[in-house]
Amino acid sequence: MLNLPRWQTIAVIVFTALAALFALPNVLPAAVLDHLPGWYQQSRINLGLDLRGGAHFLLEADLRSVLNERLANLSDSLRAEMRKQQVGLKDVTVEPGRAVVVTLRDEAQRAKALEAIRAVDPSLVVSGGGDTIRLAYSDQELFKKKKEVIDQSIEILRRRVDETGTIEPTIVRQGDDRILLQMPGIKDTTDLKRKINQTAKLTFHLVNEDVAQTGQNLPATLPPTTYLVPTREGMQELRRSNPKAWEEIQAANPRLSPEQICRRYQPQCLPVLKRVVVGGEDLDDAKATFEQQQGGRPIISFTFNTAGGRAFCNATRQNIGKRLAIQLDNEIISAPVVQSAICGGSGIITGTFTTQQTQEQALLLRSGALPATLSIIEERTVGADLGADAIQAGTTAAFVGTGLVILLMLTVYGPVFGGFASFAMLVNMLLVFAGMSILGASLTLPGIAGLVLTVGMSVDSNVLIYERVREEKANGRSAFSALATGYERALTAIIDSNLTALIAGVLLFGFGSGPIRGFATSLTLGLLTHLFTATIFTRMLLATWVRLRRPTELPI
Amino acid sequence: MLWRPHHLIQVRTSFDFLSKRKLALVASTVINVLSLAGVFIFGLNFGIDFEGGIAIQVRAKQGTIHLEELRSTVGALHVGEVSLQEFGDASSALIRVQRQEGGTQCVANADNVLKRRAGNGWAVKPGAAGTGDVEFTAPSALDAVGWRDAVSRVGLTVQERQLPRGSVNTAKVEMTPEQRAEWCQQVAIKLVEDTIGNKYELRGTESVGPKIGDELMRNGVLAIVATLVAIAIYVWFRFEWQFGVGALVALLHDVISTVGLFVVLHLDFSLTALAALLTIAGYSINDTVVIFDRVRENMRRYKKMGLIELLNFSINETLARTLMTSGTMFVAVLALVLFGGPVLYSFSIAMLWGVFVGTYSSIWIASATLVYLNLRPEQLRQDEEKAEKAKA
Repeated sequence: MLNLPRWQTIAVIVFTALAALFALPNVLPAAVLDHLPGWYQQSRINLGLDLRGGAHFLLEADLRSVLNERLANLSDSLRAEMRKQQVGLKDVTVEPGRAVVVTLRDEAQRAKALEAIRAVDPSLVVSGGGDTIRLAYSDQELFKKKKEVIDQSIEILRRRVDETGTIEPTIVRQGDDRILLQMPGIKDTTDLKRKINQTAKLTFHLVNEDVAQTGQNLPATLPPTTYLVPTREGMQELRRSNPKAWEEIQAANPRLSPEQICRRYQPQCLPVLKRVVVGGEDLDDAKATFEQQQGGRPIISFTFNTAGGRAFCNATRQNIGKRLAIQLDNEIISAPVVQSAICGGSGIITGTFTTQQTQEQALLLRSGALPATLSIIEERTVGADLGADAIQAGTTAAFVGTGLVILLMLTVYGPVFGGFASFAMLVNMLLVFAGMSILGASLTLPGIAGLVLTVGMSVDSNVLIYERVREEKANGRSAFSALATGYERALTAIIDSNLTALIAGVLLFGFGSGPIRGFATSLTLGLLTHLFTATIFTRMLLATWVRLRRPTELPI
Repeated sequence: MLWRPHHLIQVRTSFDFLSKRKLALVASTVINVLSLAGVFIFGLNFGIDFEGGIAIQVRAKQGTIHLEELRSTVGALHVGEVSLQEFGDASSALIRVQRQEGGTQCVANADNVLKRRAGNGWAVKPGAAGTGDVEFTAPSALDAVGWRDAVSRVGLTVQERQLPRGSVNTAKVEMTPEQRAEWCQQVAIKLVEDTIGNKYELRGTESVGPKIGDELMRNGVLAIVATLVAIAIYVWFRFEWQFGVGALVALLHDVISTVGLFVVLHLDFSLTALAALLTIAGYSINDTVVIFDRVRENMRRYKKMGLIELLNFSINETLARTLMTSGTMFVAVLALVLFGGPVLYSFSIAMLWGVFVGTYSSIWIASATLVYLNLRPEQLRQDEEKAEKAKA
């Protein structure tokens, strides 16, 4: 039977109307769009970089160096711990990219050595026998570390390339060790490339306790080795109590030095020694965690690279009881008291922190250096005018292609059936647009090509049905019966042929990258929505037409 | 009624398609063998997506582009093989530079760029042999930030911790040979940009490092193989194994002959070309399945008909439809060829060929394979009866 149940007809109309609704924001003027809810505004197709212009980078993180760095740190920590536990060592070597090998002086101390190792890092995989102990990270641990490094790099990269918050870059992880960075609207990439591996200014300074003990926030005179730096809390307090001053500081050009800010606006400040103990570029990692004993207070743990660890060890050994200020871009984010010499590259900051505070502090510490060097392995830059040319070419091709297909359908199947097929094809395009809008997909130039091909393919099922109807008509069936039978018999061919074509589309999406994904997206969506328009939508059109016109003969 | 529909085919045709199957087999085999031979002898004109290297779209700031002049200018830069082609219109061109291998020549190029951009006091020298290390020399002592700015002038992205602390005027940057090779693409871009920047506007730049190129190639081959196998398996499940093999042979024919077209026309074989291959596979199978579906239907209906007669009959029955769908696809692709612009050109030409070859292979290759595989209608019917009995 050709007729659809009433509920199906209603469902088709509602579905199509919804699609139109979701495709609508693409053509609404910005003035109207601004008054609509946010989720609805976002239902739009983004132009890909090849159409709007911009820069695309594929960055690869040097994870091997990170691992070697960590292994070197580990061997330092092991040495320190073994010395403490009085285990005699012959040698500690790093197998690059794999493990640390410890050679004991006396095999009998093996049990004691293993205990020391557990104290350093209980997650290590231990192997080897006799006087050698081979230590490696487990696969799980390695995977976790890699993911951490990449996630952290993404976080830092985002902060760095989008300081103004207006560019809306796309920064996503790709595969094991890659990061995809897309910056729309950027043509000159020199500055961007410079920023990629840039380090935020994170430094460790000793607090000048002699000055601080006077209790004055703003001592009138300072020794030449010391300067004043506002604390982060002080600045936040200032922002609350005196927003105007805070804005002035942000807008100042040239930027005010920390000391000038202290003198002029009088937030809480600390006198610190100018000499840098360790720079943020030597800080490998910082994370919020919990103390193992004493009720598990929230603390921050951090790790230095070899050079940083050594400098930090010296400074802390000589300054137990003093405060060590951690300065990030002209603010002191924290000034913990040195409790003991911190050697072996890692240490903790304790205090009366909440979990949220430790997380925030760890994040700030991490925003110093990127954990791994990123190198550019793929770069594509498209000027905005080139993108405009591509849009022009793509739209012309799309309109001409659509026009030619409609013309052909009308010529061969006449105004009624050709018209239905063309209408169904246009609805199919609407559905594709709606699908892409809801997915927030990017429209690329190959994507436009995919749309044009979809136009050519979406009348396919109508052709199948119509030719079948013609055959049935030639076999002597009545108008209505020819239509119903033709429709029914064409259905298996429609579904099989579309599903096989879909296989190609889906695999293309899986293996493709960049603009090709855009092509696969529009082609696959087109095939999917086409299954709907071909099977239900055209059937509804034809059924309605038959009901209204009651044709005795088919104009086909 | 304004106008009457026009039937593409007025009467039911009865062409004997399969009598030409030997001719088709010979012709197709020759074309496919020549295509493969062409790939091995002449090679494909790989774009930078697969080969790695640099592609720069330029437009002359004034007048038309002089390809010869541009070729000799860029060719003299010691960046390896350079190819040029007009791109879109007479004032635009696409410059392609082969992938940079990261040898000492590249370091010399970096030296050249740095001297040009920063002055003669600067120098770049390769480090110890066997490593990818590079040594920078500055006219005066610099701090870490200064060094970072300096190395970024030659497109090197390194972290501060890899650069010297304190004020020194030489900096050794440690790299592996692979890392240096990736960086060398950046050096070549800067070199070309600097050399032609005054006369030409650089409209778009692409660079693909050696590593990613190899990967894209591997993924591309995998994608094609996976697609063909997946389609064949689907057809096998929905029909009979002979149909699956028929579809696979037809698809292989389409893909290989399209690759042959790329060799003959010297078209750019890039990621979009790969997309074209997969789309052609998807389109061609679409046609094939429609014919197969009819064959299956007729096998049930005309139990006494011989296989060749049955196939011919089915192809004739679906002929109008086959021609019409090829027609709509053809006009859509034609619009892309004519108006789609230079970037899509290779893709569109390949698709145009795909429309023809897909239709041809559905009729002569996929169906003829069924004959050679001795598909016996009785077998299908027996299988079905067995299945029904099993159900009952």
